[in-house]
Amino acid sequence: MKRLFLILLLAGLGTAAKAQQPSGTVIAVPPLTSPDSGSKGNQMLAVGFDISQLIASDLRQTAELAPLPTTREDYYSYPEVTAPSLYKWRTAHAKTLLMGFVQSRSDGRLTVGCYVYDVDKGRELARKGFVIGPSDWRRAAHKCSGLAYTAVTGTPGIFDTRIAYVAESGVGDGRTRRLAVMDSDGNGHRYVTAGDTTVLTPRIAPNGSQVAFVSYAGGQPNVRLLDLDSGKDRPLIQSNAISFAPRFSPDGSRIAFSMMNGPNSDIYVVRATGGAAQRLTTSPGVDTDPSFSPDGSKIVFESDRGGSQQLYVMNSDGTGQRRLTFGNGWYGTPEWSADGQWIAFTRRGQDGRRIGIVRVDGTGERLLTAGPGDEGPSWAPSSRELLFQRAGTNGRSGLYRVTLDGGEPRPMTIPSDGSDPDWSGVMD
Amino acid sequence: MRKAILILGFALFAGSAHAQLPFLTKRPAQPVIQGIDALRADFAAQSGGTTVYFGTESVILGAPARAVLAAQAAWLRRHPEVVVRIEGYGDGGDTRDHALAVGARRAEETRDQLVLLGVPSAQVSTTSWGKERPGLGRAVTVLVR
Repeated sequence: MKRLFLILLLAGLGTAAKAQQPSGTVIAVPPLTSPDSGSKGNQMLAVGFDISQLIASDLRQTAELAPLPTTREDYYSYPEVTAPSLYKWRTAHAKTLLMGFVQSRSDGRLTVGCYVYDVDKGRELARKGFVIGPSDWRRAAHKCSGLAYTAVTGTPGIFDTRIAYVAESGVGDGRTRRLAVMDSDGNGHRYVTAGDTTVLTPRIAPNGSQVAFVSYAGGQPNVRLLDLDSGKDRPLIQSNAISFAPRFSPDGSRIAFSMMNGPNSDIYVVRATGGAAQRLTTSPGVDTDPSFSPDGSKIVFESDRGGSQQLYVMNSDGTGQRRLTFGNGWYGTPEWSADGQWIAFTRRGQDGRRIGIVRVDGTGERLLTAGPGDEGPSWAPSSRELLFQRAGTNGRSGLYRVTLDGGEPRPMTIPSDGSDPDWSGVMD
Repeated sequence: MRKAILILGFALFAGSAHAQLPFLTKRPAQPVIQGIDALRADFAAQSGGTTVYFGTESVILGAPARAVLAAQAAWLRRHPEVVVRIEGYGDGGDTRDHALAVGARRAEETRDQLVLLGVPSAQVSTTSWGKERPGLGRAVTVLVR
């Protein structure tokens, strides 16, 4: 008897330890229900189950949320979507609950609704509904994941976002480079240029519809704009000069870039729809890699005007230029975080190229990677992690993610070598 | 003497306007080299190389580079029909866009030196490969046509 008690106690401890393991807020994601009946209803329930599983998988990737497993035993009726029985989830130690439905429409599309509840307080935190094509269920899931993540953390999620990068294969002069675009979870991967022309540094428009990039189509590097729906591209500006390093303003209306003026590289800005470019810097030497602040009022960029490559900040009309970094080594490729707090950079030094961050007032500088071949950080819309390019000693390169709280960078799975990653904002 | 100047002036006029007046095209004094490959080989042989090298992070042309460019300029002045492109390269340890800018600066410095030595600026264009191709830290003069 005593022995049996001991075993039970140990089993109890084991369960408790297991339940405490996830560090984030526990969220229940029972399968989405459907108001439809009959075979249509069964179809919708099947789609709903896939969506719920993908939501749980999305949220499991985050440090802030810990989803319970999605099982068919947890099905609920359509009226319960707006009147959930929270007692069951309290006993399962869930703090947050995500419910919803999938409904077929007469035009063949689907209506998806998602609702987020605070289990303890018994109140609704957020809800969202949208109409999608039947093959777009993954996007619906990512949107629901984002709804839950934002309801719990107060910051935007990265689920319904895209990544553009340069897919590379072959060696030497014959190396093929194609622009590729994919969902941030690696799904929906596709090539958007043919590979007959060298391309560099894709930058996705905030609404995800266009990519600004550098192409050697005209024999020299020039910024071009590619429409992702039509596949057509055009030069950003009419000029014979070398242009490169494009970046959209946060509202998508402007593009900052650099262009050669004789032996000088200066920063310019132009409307994304075209027109005359405005010159923002005039100092001798190399000014490049402009990146807008989230409100569009400032631009961080790199310049070697002081004798070595360092980061500078200016107003977006070119006034008020001031130096930001004074550390050892050379600083380049700055990118402003979406929450406005940080600027990510590549630092070149004795130990090679490493990724780091610094506050916008120049304090709190911190290196996040060990190098030696790291380059070109791009912020996740959550401002909690960075995507960057890491070159190996074998001449190959891949895409890696690293979080601000440190830890080893994790490689992204892509079909070939990759460089120049760019992470889009949350798409509407 | 006056006649000589007049003839020279006429020859220059003919040279610049030969597209409009094909029957006035000046005959080259040099033996005619046919084909771009033969021209490239002759250019490389007589200039002491197509390539000039830079120190890391530097865009300054050293004495060896200037000697090569002087020979290149002399050859290009003898072959006004040839068009060249200077392809500048950055340094491997650099970041991508900075390397692109450094390559462009090296190409511009090289072009400026050729123009300073009497090569018409319309004869020379520039581009930059940054760190995108093998062969870092240099500028290469490529005969286009």
